[in-house]
Amino acid sequence: MTDALDVSTLNDDQRDALVRLMVTLADSKRLMGIRYSDWTLGAPSIETGVSMASMTQDEWGHARLLYAMLKTLDIDPAPFEYERSGDRFASLSALDNEPSDWAAVVALMVLADGALSTMLRSFAQGTLEQARRRVPKMLAEEQYHMSMGFAWYRRLADSGGESRRLLAVATEDMLPGLVAWVGADDAAARNMVAIGVLDSAEDRLALYRDEVREVVALVGVDIDTVLGTSVWDEVRGRAVGRPDEEACERARGDRNRALLVE
Amino acid sequence: MREFVYDVFTRKERGDRLQHVGYVDAFDDETAKVYAWTTYSEEKWFEMCVVKRVNVLPVNRTDGLFVEAQESSHD
Repeated sequence: MTDALDVSTLNDDQRDALVRLMVTLADSKRLMGIRYSDWTLGAPSIETGVSMASMTQDEWGHARLLYAMLKTLDIDPAPFEYERSGDRFASLSALDNEPSDWAAVVALMVLADGALSTMLRSFAQGTLEQARRRVPKMLAEEQYHMSMGFAWYRRLADSGGESRRLLAVATEDMLPGLVAWVGADDAAARNMVAIGVLDSAEDRLALYRDEVREVVALVGVDIDTVLGTSVWDEVRGRAVGRPDEEACERARGDRNRALLVE
Repeated sequence: MREFVYDVFTRKERGDRLQHVGYVDAFDDETAKVYAWTTYSEEKWFEMCVVKRVNVLPVNRTDGLFVEAQESSHD
């Protein structure tokens, strides 16, 4: 295994790039948890709802661990978790809006959660010691998310009719932003590759495409021809846009903290 | 959507007896495993497995859940 990264040797650009990576992963996990939580009562069966609740807990736990990684750089995670406005959230564009139907939730499970796992797999194999130690357990939990996502994706795709159409629409809508995110190759992303924190953009994207190729083909999408969106925000490391305000309030826990009594 | 009953078995420690802890309804083996793992998560199980109820063959009974599962599989 490659030697662990000594974060005290990072220059400002490398350090900022590492912060960007940690925050985009953490924000995405937190938003993913919110999107899953909204379907604990609206899922197609009680068992599916229970699984959504469990996956919500997983995502929020992962987010907390990823925010806490900022401490590695002597950065207090609290302002990132609780004080940012929505236009500074770095979560995946696929999570910006509440999924309008179950097919869109399933697409999120496979495509967005899958994109996060692709990045986390790379992160876990990189040079950052904290990622090597903390991320493998997240990935083990994510196996259940992917099993459920793939099973439902196949089911909806095979069902034909409206379910299949909605799944195709959600897939085509989400993929450009996700492909751009996984395959990010801007200056900050290249910094992460240069110091061994992530694999190359080409390798990450190839892994992601391998992961989803078979299922998205079920709704007529050829992942190898999907291009990443060109409207890219280099500061946040995501496609241009932002999550809806209500989701941001929930992600920050505004109401929860208003009820706290010291 | 056709669903099937899967019985859930667990053991808490290596060497413990495998015990029946409940069941889930699922449309295939993969979702049954996920549903079982997330539903019966009250313990840190050493082992969990699921069995599609229709695959349990009654030996001495002519009534009960397992017979009903056999009968419903012919519907």
